[in-house]
Amino acid sequence: MHVPDGPLSIPVCLAAGVTSAAAVGYSLRRLSGELADRMVPYTGMTAALIFAAQMLNFPLLVVPTSGHLMGGVLAASVIGPWAGCVALTLVLLVQCLMFSDGGLWALGVNVLHMAVIGSIGGYFTRNLLWRMWGGGTRAYLMASGLAAWLTVVAAASLFSLEFVLSFSTAGLDLGRLATLMVSVHSAVGVGEALITVMSIAFLLKHRPALLQHSPAEPGTGAVQTSLIGGLTIALALIAFLAPMASSLPDGFEAVAQRVGLQSLVSGSQISVLQEYEVPAPVSGWDQWPAWQWASTVTAGIGGCLSVFLIGTLVARRLAAYHTT
Amino acid sequence: MWKLIAAATVILLGVSLPLDSWQVTGVLTVIVFIAHSLAEISLRYVLRRLALFLPMLLMLSASIPLVAGFERGIEVMLLILLRGTLAFLAGLWLIQVLPFPELIRCLARLRVPQAMLASLWLMHRYMLTLWEELNRMRQARRARRFTPPRWRSEWIDAAQLIGMLVIRGFDRADRVHAAMKARGWNGRIPGNTDDGV
Repeated sequence: MHVPDGPLSIPVCLAAGVTSAAAVGYSLRRLSGELADRMVPYTGMTAALIFAAQMLNFPLLVVPTSGHLMGGVLAASVIGPWAGCVALTLVLLVQCLMFSDGGLWALGVNVLHMAVIGSIGGYFTRNLLWRMWGGGTRAYLMASGLAAWLTVVAAASLFSLEFVLSFSTAGLDLGRLATLMVSVHSAVGVGEALITVMSIAFLLKHRPALLQHSPAEPGTGAVQTSLIGGLTIALALIAFLAPMASSLPDGFEAVAQRVGLQSLVSGSQISVLQEYEVPAPVSGWDQWPAWQWASTVTAGIGGCLSVFLIGTLVARRLAAYHTT
Repeated sequence: MWKLIAAATVILLGVSLPLDSWQVTGVLTVIVFIAHSLAEISLRYVLRRLALFLPMLLMLSASIPLVAGFERGIEVMLLILLRGTLAFLAGLWLIQVLPFPELIRCLARLRVPQAMLASLWLMHRYMLTLWEELNRMRQARRARRFTPPRWRSEWIDAAQLIGMLVIRGFDRADRVHAAMKARGWNGRIPGNTDDGV
């Protein structure tokens, strides 16, 4: 999981490092306001226990290697997103500079993937999902699991992007690389999600006071929140899954190929719908590897937003119709 | 500080050189090996770490020919393998010659904030303690089990052990915090000297 030095170019590492430094700096500023004297022992201890927990290996079913926890969502559940980010940064720092696990220049990349996305991203994703699903203990656990899975998949897709940018001259196809990375890490993420959910369930049973939020409290469940939440998740899913959509044949095409309807599929009216891409405004932009991804994502977001708007309008009309 | 800069420079050069300039890469590798032997790092240790590292790097780099096709991908794959190994060896030298207090001084010079360095001290103090505690709990749990471990029970065990470790760690943090406060802790590292801690 730790990116070594070598696969990524120095500019990409530096860019990721600046982003991570800003995020960690902001986290520290958020922490210095509240309970400054408690922050050091609790952050240090959380870092120590996440470090120990990461060394605990458990068997994976399919692959002959063993997996371990990354712990972003777990740390954030216990001490909050900002302290969790700092604690995971410390873990990565120690792993890099005392155990040579993860590259020296790639430290910023690893912090971005596991501390910033893992802890801050995972925390807010979890809370969003939790509130959307109406609050309560079961929703809390489910949201934690999904958030843990999403952090792993998000880190994998971000890595693919960084990789393609690092070897821009080799002309790698971002869609295909992201497909490979995301599919491998979807499986890894399931392990992370399972361990996170089971550990949090254990804490809920034995020491619920340790968790930041008391999951038993009912959520607000406001319609506005769920609307915005649903839209955000849909947009996030598009950003991750669009590369897969662009490089894999969709279900309809696959079935058509199998049944022998190829001649029908290659017919005129369907081929128009096949490319969900925005045409490049400048000729030559479509040679750029990130363009294909960006255009697919733009097209996907545009489609999603229009469906959302139409759906909201129809729902409004229906609701008005019912009340009158 | 110079050790960190030296390692960073070697890795920087190694990672940014193209495949054509293999002579420079060779010279860098020789330098790294000389540094290893000067630091009296045993060959067995280096080989053992490499045996753990190389399969991972191979898996990562093998995805390139898979994605980009053999002809274009193989060159990038070789490049990653070469750079990765060189950078890993340089990093291995660094961790062997940089003891923890010196590392803290380096980080303080790099303007890492005080609060983070203090947390790092505390983490360093307790990380192996907690790892030992985790191992003790796992051993005790295995001793109490009468059936051989299966994958399902291993997963449940791992999750419960981690949960238990969180509880114990936080109890310990409470005690440490109380002890620190009793000794006049106010959020700053006492006895602050110019080298950071």
